[in-house]
Amino acid sequence: MRLWLNHLRRTPLLLFLVLYTIVSGGPFLWVMSMSLRTTPEIFDDPYALPVRLHWEKFANAWTNSNYGTYFWNSLIVVVTAVALVTLIGAMAAHCLARYRFRGSRLVRFVILSGMILPPQLLILSLFQILLDYGLYNSLAGLIIVYVATQLAMTVYILEGFFAQLPQDLFDAARMDGYADFEIFWRITLPIGLPAIFTTVTLNFILLWNEYLYAVVLLTDDEKRTLPLGIMHFMGGHQLDVGMIATGLMIAIAPVILLYALFSETMIKGMTAGAVR
Amino acid sequence: MATVTIDELSKRYAGGGEPAVKAVSLAVADGEFMVLLGPSGCGKSSVLRMIAGLEPITAGTVAIDGRPVNHVPAKDRDIAMVFQSYALYPHMTVHANLAFGLRRRSVPGDEIDRRVRGVAEKLGLTPFLARKPHALSGGQRQRVALGRAIVRDPKVFLFDEPLSNLDAALRVSTRNELIKQQHELGTTTIYVTHDQVEAMTMGDRICIMNKGEVVQIGKPLEVYRNPADAFVARFLGNPPMNLLPARLEQAGDRTIARFSDVAVELTAYPISALKPYVGGPVTLGVRPEDLYEVPPPAIASRALQIAARVLAVEPLGAETLLMLTIGGAGPEIIARVGRDTNLRTGGDATIALDPNALHLFDPTTTKAIARVA
Amino acid sequence: MAEPAAPPRTRIVAWLMGDSVADSRQAPARTILLFLAPALLVYAGFTIYPVLRTFYNSVHTIGPHNVQTFVGLDNFVALVTQDRVFWKAVANTTIFTVVGTVADVLGGLLLALCLFAKVPLARAMRVIWFTPVLMSYVIVGIIWVWLYDYDWGLVNLVLGWLGLESLQHSWLGDPATALWAVVVTHLWKWLGFNMIICLAALHALPEEVLGAAELDNCGWFAKLVYIIIPMLRPTLVNLLVLSFIGKMMMFDLVWIMTAGGPLWSTETVSTYVYKRAFNWNTFDLGYPSAIAVLWFFMILLFVTLMTRLLRQRDRVEF
Repeated sequence: MRLWLNHLRRTPLLLFLVLYTIVSGGPFLWVMSMSLRTTPEIFDDPYALPVRLHWEKFANAWTNSNYGTYFWNSLIVVVTAVALVTLIGAMAAHCLARYRFRGSRLVRFVILSGMILPPQLLILSLFQILLDYGLYNSLAGLIIVYVATQLAMTVYILEGFFAQLPQDLFDAARMDGYADFEIFWRITLPIGLPAIFTTVTLNFILLWNEYLYAVVLLTDDEKRTLPLGIMHFMGGHQLDVGMIATGLMIAIAPVILLYALFSETMIKGMTAGAVR
Repeated sequence: MATVTIDELSKRYAGGGEPAVKAVSLAVADGEFMVLLGPSGCGKSSVLRMIAGLEPITAGTVAIDGRPVNHVPAKDRDIAMVFQSYALYPHMTVHANLAFGLRRRSVPGDEIDRRVRGVAEKLGLTPFLARKPHALSGGQRQRVALGRAIVRDPKVFLFDEPLSNLDAALRVSTRNELIKQQHELGTTTIYVTHDQVEAMTMGDRICIMNKGEVVQIGKPLEVYRNPADAFVARFLGNPPMNLLPARLEQAGDRTIARFSDVAVELTAYPISALKPYVGGPVTLGVRPEDLYEVPPPAIASRALQIAARVLAVEPLGAETLLMLTIGGAGPEIIARVGRDTNLRTGGDATIALDPNALHLFDPTTTKAIARVA
Repeated sequence: MAEPAAPPRTRIVAWLMGDSVADSRQAPARTILLFLAPALLVYAGFTIYPVLRTFYNSVHTIGPHNVQTFVGLDNFVALVTQDRVFWKAVANTTIFTVVGTVADVLGGLLLALCLFAKVPLARAMRVIWFTPVLMSYVIVGIIWVWLYDYDWGLVNLVLGWLGLESLQHSWLGDPATALWAVVVTHLWKWLGFNMIICLAALHALPEEVLGAAELDNCGWFAKLVYIIIPMLRPTLVNLLVLSFIGKMMMFDLVWIMTAGGPLWSTETVSTYVYKRAFNWNTFDLGYPSAIAVLWFFMILLFVTLMTRLLRQRDRVEF
């Protein structure tokens, strides 16, 4: 009898849980369903499940609506930017964590204060600067900007982790005759892999989804990244809900796929900057 | 002030495996200081938490003052607990920590103040009332934890290894403090520990647990003198009791235990108890303090001399521990002798044994074989 | 580690790689430079320089073909005294930030508590609840534009099912509701994030302290108010500050859902900066730069006040 009452008491809680799960996960499923239906079908009954799975819409979006181009642009920009920011960020973090030198505190302060700079403070000048250097409307320009925007957070997370590595490890490596860069390459990087994984995840997701810098610094349709491509398509075909949904799926599918495989890593990665 | 009765208490954790607590039964009298003693993982903390109501009970009953409390929530059992990590509220001052439980029970403000000041006075905490726990030393935090329990004036005190986080010297003084408080208050107390010194010095009775089961219950000295099985025999006493394999033989109307070329007559055991083991193996137990370099006059007449070789000598200051092999190549034993020994490592020695101080255990069940005295 | 055979090095490489110095906390200047140079160069060129240039811009009028005219503090004066849109944007952003931040953190805590209470399938729900965090603002914005649609959006549909037709609105088209609609969408995206962090913090609470609270006659509500929230305070303050900063700078979501409309009701400072720079009839980068500069200092001020107010005096360790 008591057990039954206990369960009864929890019913509102369980109901709330189910409700919120539907609310947070439902929209994605809805988009997934719409991506496989034609627009007329959707307007007929917006929330029904697909009767026929229109896989050809994806091929259509990829070639005819240029989503393929957008996808590759995003991939190139994000992968390159993440690789670069991880490398130079790790180098800087290693240096700040391991070595004592005059001005290290100043350098650390300057780099980490970048985390609270609002994009508005940078975007207009970056627009001018890229124009001046001929990097406007180029993937290379966007890559460099992305590296700069993610640098502060990356250094913050990696430096925190590297600083916790036992100094003994490095003393021993020194005594074994390793040079400084070798120490970085052969010790800090391999051991710091979990933290590096974390920042790679965080940076990948943030840059894959990034919109503001891209929309200001790119104009050619051939250069657009996925978020831009989607908005551009929206602008021209606002009522083609089906194709927009397909485009959304192309943008989000890689992320969800990675998430399904590595949910714990990704959760840890995305929240790394906030955990004290 | 209350009795606590546990009947066939069992605990199984989700995820299967062996039950953590198997059918434990225990009756604690009003005002008694009962110690639950046992190695890590023996289930003693689980029993305590079930009594407190912090852990759900799988089977069996817990009764306080005769009233079953299985389904009574922890806060209504009128129990106070002192945790191993003290569990003080880190964001509250010492005063607030002491007052919290009373405030939550709607005790009038001036009553709270009176009781808190009284307890603080008693435990020497008055200068710390405005501090937060992180500004206190380990011993001070422990006293606050104790104070928090005392101020509630509950029916039962529960202690979960409260001294294990203190350093050795502090442990001794705090132990005495605890004993003094309990005697003054006369509250029924159940105290969990793995430290046998605490058990022997603090308990009115001790309950030894191993692998989720109760092995023996009794007054400390009784349990020490008459361990119920080999586990208890070795758990109490430092250094632990020496256990040797031996064979029982019958020579006329005398029963003889033979080990390693040594034959000792067993006069302290009734023939009836020994009969089933004659001609077969037994486990022989002798405590290090019952092995003498020079037997005291009281037992000199019946003492048995054993030849041995010294493997190691450990002078402890007040006494010396000797590691010996019997007959030079037999089993190793430890003897506790006085500080003025002349024995050296590698040398030969003659050790005296009191046959009446021998313990016998069944070699398979490890249970003790009943003695006369 | 096996002793590596030292590879033959050219002199340049040897110079770059540095000698082994006994104290591993010291390194020659060239080594430190080697490690820091790439990061500092990128940072200097694409973060520090732009910031300085924005400050420079803010006291100029930057016309087409980079014609620069020094105007002193005119931009700022005009901004503060004459620009009603700016102040509407500030009001909107402030409402959005304050309401959003509080709801964000409280909501995250609430969700975390739900999962903390030993419910079945907690692990699966945790994974699902976090998904919106991973989605781009573009995706989130578009989905919710559809959900808020007057005719076929799910929000109005559900209200209809519940018999609350009177509450149906053109959520993004009505100036009275547009900002709140955006707030809700933003919440939807970020609750999962705060939930994860609160959940981790809850799990880090010492179990014995919670047990002691139970014995001290605390039901779940008293435990929450007197023990859990006070002990979680550093985490919650952290989340509040982070959420605050993020919302003050918010651009993407508002731009995608409403572009600042209808009638400036969702105009935020960031969308206004963008509009003044790229969607205005006269091209001038100076004025929006001034907005950005002023807004940056306002954010700094708010954050400093917040941390000072909420920060605890002594560290509470446990």
